[in-house]
Amino acid sequence: MNRMNVVGHSVERPDAYDKVTGGKGYPVNVKLPGMLHAKILRSPYAHARIVGIDASRAEKLPGVKAVLLSRDVPQVKFCPVFFVPVDAPSMVLDFDVMNGEVVRYVGQPVAAVAATTAEIAEAALSLIDVEYEELPAVFTPEAAMQPGAPQLHPGAANNVAKNPSFVAGDVEKGFAEADFVFEGVYETQRQHTCYMEPRVCVAEMDRQDNVTIHVTTQHLFGTREKLAYALKLPESKVKVIKSPYIGGGFGGKLELSYMEPIATLLSKKSGGRPVRLEQTRHEDFITTTRNPIKVYLKTGVKKDGTFTARYARSVLDCGAYATHGAEVIMVHGAFGLFFNYHAPHTHWEGQTVYTNNMIGGGFRGYGAPQGSFAVESQIDEICDKLGLDPIEMRLKNARKQGEPHPFNPAFTIATYGLEDCLRQGAAKIDWPGRRSARGGDGVRKRGFGMAVHPVWVSGCMGFPDIYEHSGAIIKLNRDGTADLASAAMDIGSGQITTLCQIAAEELGLPAGAVRMSSGCDTDNVPFDAPTHASRVTYSAGNAVKAAAAAAKKRLFEVVATMMEVSPDDLEVANGTVSVKGAPGKSVTVAEAAQRAESPFVQMTAEGPKETTIGEKGTIVGIASLSPTSNPPPCAAQFVEVEVDTETGEVKVLHAVYAHDIGRVINPAAAEGQVEGGFQQGMGYALMEHIQFDPETGACLTSDFLDYKMPTAVEMPRRIDSIFIETDEPSGPFGAKSLSECCVITPAPAIANAIFDAIGVRFRQLPITPEKILAGLGKL
Amino acid sequence: MALLNLKEFHSPRSLADARALLDANEDALVLSGGTFLHGLEARGLLSDVEALVDIRRIGLDAVEIDGAGLEIGATATFARLQAVPEVGTEAWLGALADALTYPPVQIRNTATFGGCVAAACPFFDIPTALLALDASVDTDGPDGGRSLSLSELFMGLFANTLDTGELITALFVPRPAGRVASAFLKLEGNANDLAIVNAAVRLSVDAGGVCTDARVALGGGVAESTLRIPSAETILLGAKLDEATLRAAGEAVADDISPMSDHRASAAYRSALAKVMTRRALERAVARLS
Repeated sequence: MNRMNVVGHSVERPDAYDKVTGGKGYPVNVKLPGMLHAKILRSPYAHARIVGIDASRAEKLPGVKAVLLSRDVPQVKFCPVFFVPVDAPSMVLDFDVMNGEVVRYVGQPVAAVAATTAEIAEAALSLIDVEYEELPAVFTPEAAMQPGAPQLHPGAANNVAKNPSFVAGDVEKGFAEADFVFEGVYETQRQHTCYMEPRVCVAEMDRQDNVTIHVTTQHLFGTREKLAYALKLPESKVKVIKSPYIGGGFGGKLELSYMEPIATLLSKKSGGRPVRLEQTRHEDFITTTRNPIKVYLKTGVKKDGTFTARYARSVLDCGAYATHGAEVIMVHGAFGLFFNYHAPHTHWEGQTVYTNNMIGGGFRGYGAPQGSFAVESQIDEICDKLGLDPIEMRLKNARKQGEPHPFNPAFTIATYGLEDCLRQGAAKIDWPGRRSARGGDGVRKRGFGMAVHPVWVSGCMGFPDIYEHSGAIIKLNRDGTADLASAAMDIGSGQITTLCQIAAEELGLPAGAVRMSSGCDTDNVPFDAPTHASRVTYSAGNAVKAAAAAAKKRLFEVVATMMEVSPDDLEVANGTVSVKGAPGKSVTVAEAAQRAESPFVQMTAEGPKETTIGEKGTIVGIASLSPTSNPPPCAAQFVEVEVDTETGEVKVLHAVYAHDIGRVINPAAAEGQVEGGFQQGMGYALMEHIQFDPETGACLTSDFLDYKMPTAVEMPRRIDSIFIETDEPSGPFGAKSLSECCVITPAPAIANAIFDAIGVRFRQLPITPEKILAGLGKL
Repeated sequence: MALLNLKEFHSPRSLADARALLDANEDALVLSGGTFLHGLEARGLLSDVEALVDIRRIGLDAVEIDGAGLEIGATATFARLQAVPEVGTEAWLGALADALTYPPVQIRNTATFGGCVAAACPFFDIPTALLALDASVDTDGPDGGRSLSLSELFMGLFANTLDTGELITALFVPRPAGRVASAFLKLEGNANDLAIVNAAVRLSVDAGGVCTDARVALGGGVAESTLRIPSAETILLGAKLDEATLRAAGEAVADDISPMSDHRASAAYRSALAKVMTRRALERAVARLS
């Protein structure tokens, strides 16, 4: 591929200084004059009827400015997920902010207080008397679907919130044609996104019902839409301020939580004072998680490893309200289980089931890690049983470049580097040489494993009910720089950097000459879909590139007048516009921008001089558009592990990760994504687990003392990232996407490596030291 | 956030001032490094506390090592001890040096020796090491001072035998005679974890390599307190410290423990790991003897 000036370089992140010096630009540090502090009273019961609430003692506590009860909250039911319309028919419209009648999980809000300090607000909570009548609770989907189980929501028979399915061909015929049929049940757990900055907002609602909110969110416009709906306001009454940064998201800030409407209504009740509501880490832990899914997977294969039929049933525990669970199950069935490989006969049944557990959220990978763990583990089982090579087995069934996209046949898989990912990754870890290195007679045994993720998304183009378009505004400054305004949120993964690089490349400016505006909000920039679904570089990148192209077109018109040439003959590089083939004759971007904004009549030594109407006007470019496709990135992962057979501890010694993400916009940022993704995937594989008291449903692991995730100490000493750079025609400068792909494969790769080391297959995550010792028969 | 009723925070500059404050206010909590109190506070367990007495400025942070042993002021931090050269080089202090490597640097810079034993938390690391090293504590109370062994100090889960207003002023680790080495090991969920199981041992041998003294201690939820393991010590005492002996000593720990089950690990797993960790700690100490 051709080398570019800005794209493809590890340019410095413009946010680096703010971030290492701490705090600037994050919602958690927003302080406004007269600001109050709010706390939420939450249910201690997993399922109960609210008989009565008496907040009179709390209201009298000095410093308390407002108490919010359900009677103050508009009673509407909706889907709080940002990336779908609030009343999307394909989602489940069961969410309420505070219903005053029934609580369905431990932690559901029943009241809230705003006071002059957070301590007073918390003290006031203990003065609110709530009388509950406990109801029978159910904590597993299997029990919830039994006849006679407590029914959580009207209209959801047997507590099934959603039960999608699809059939292609005839799986019974396919299984009959198979030489071997493999079956297994694969279970995954609740994992927390563990973003650094807690969910927090500062909301104001004035006497004309104008709402302004600073909030940790992955979606400005989704926050506006859902908050307006929850408050029964027109959308334009709600202004969501784009914070320059939020402290991580990973999908955990992808729906309206309770805090935004509660803080806003408390503001209204306290006469319009700003109200700040910061969740504690405990509150964060009990209000967003990766949904646990149990997958019953059955695969028919020929002796050579060709799939003849694939069947799966997936049971997802969405907890007390469906929220993301209605969509996670779809992505899981499609991109987690079936879009990866060809099979002539497929059948899938999904069930999203209500329980009295915590609600789920979005989480990087969104249903695919749960599916990939099942599929990639079972392929390893098949290869082991039939003596097949795991790489060739996967390639035999994988899709090929040029095939139609499995979701939308109107899209073609134009770029697809899976085979290169496999071959180069295998070479890097010396996959052929693994047999001599593995096992061993000692206490610590080594093993190698691999997994792939063959088809992932670059955004949501074509998916039912899901928003997918982006906007951008670019304005050239008289000093030769440019400002970029966009609603796309940088959630820590470097979107500001990559979008500015794309704009600079298109505008012919040096790296660093494009700045992301710090003053965006829902009033002044075009709609953008959320930062989710690995979409920003691809989708928002296309919009930014188009806006930059529009600005460049205008730039050339101005310069053409100045130089008395045709705009078509101009090119721009490194901040200088010149005539193609005549580099000597040039005008800088700064000069052009000055000319465009100069007074119409300019005074010179020779007297007044008129410029032309055609040159006048700030050079801007605007775009708002949908991408044209949904090109799949793909990944192959290899790991080497060491298992201590006396303690059950697993150490990942080496990870090799090869991705086809199209053109890499910023190699250092991409490597950072891969390593962070591996950390989250490794935590999912080995330790992370939100646990609950099985009797009461109370969370047992709601801080970082009790909830364990990998630290730098547990990370492998060596992670090699390989990028197979394909040139995606529909992407900005050939880019596809990255973010989520790298979190999907670590769990099955590590499980497969553990099997390689000790010969024990684990089908339930996380694979803790205790499970390993039990698997070895030592407990 | 959860110190909702805190009305007084005292920062006395002498032991006498601290004594007066504690005598005057029986419900006051003593604050040293604050890591344990922070954990309790974050879980909402300190909402009734009305007064804190911060003892970090009363001059109890001295550390001295001499022929008799190692004296550690109650408010000396873990980091302070790590900076003592002998802690890193002398085999008899190996268990302490090992245990000090586990807490993250933020904890090491603030957690204190007095605080970590007064907490009587069976999941802490330093107390297990100190128990194997035969450490004792000196106290100052309303009725004067006394000296207690750690076994005497630990009463149960988060419960110590100190009287109301009684303060730990120093810890003492006696220097054992002869060829001695100690070691500590920990099993943890990640590098910022409490112990699932930890083990500390101290071994003395004569010229012939026969064990003349053995102390084995276990922590991390193998019982409600960090405790000594006499059944393992009995096997070691008078024996050659060969592989079979170490293995037998490890196996013997089951007789002295009553592990708990919680969300970190089951009793069965802790029981299995107590044996392995004891044997491995013994192996580590034996390696240091030679």
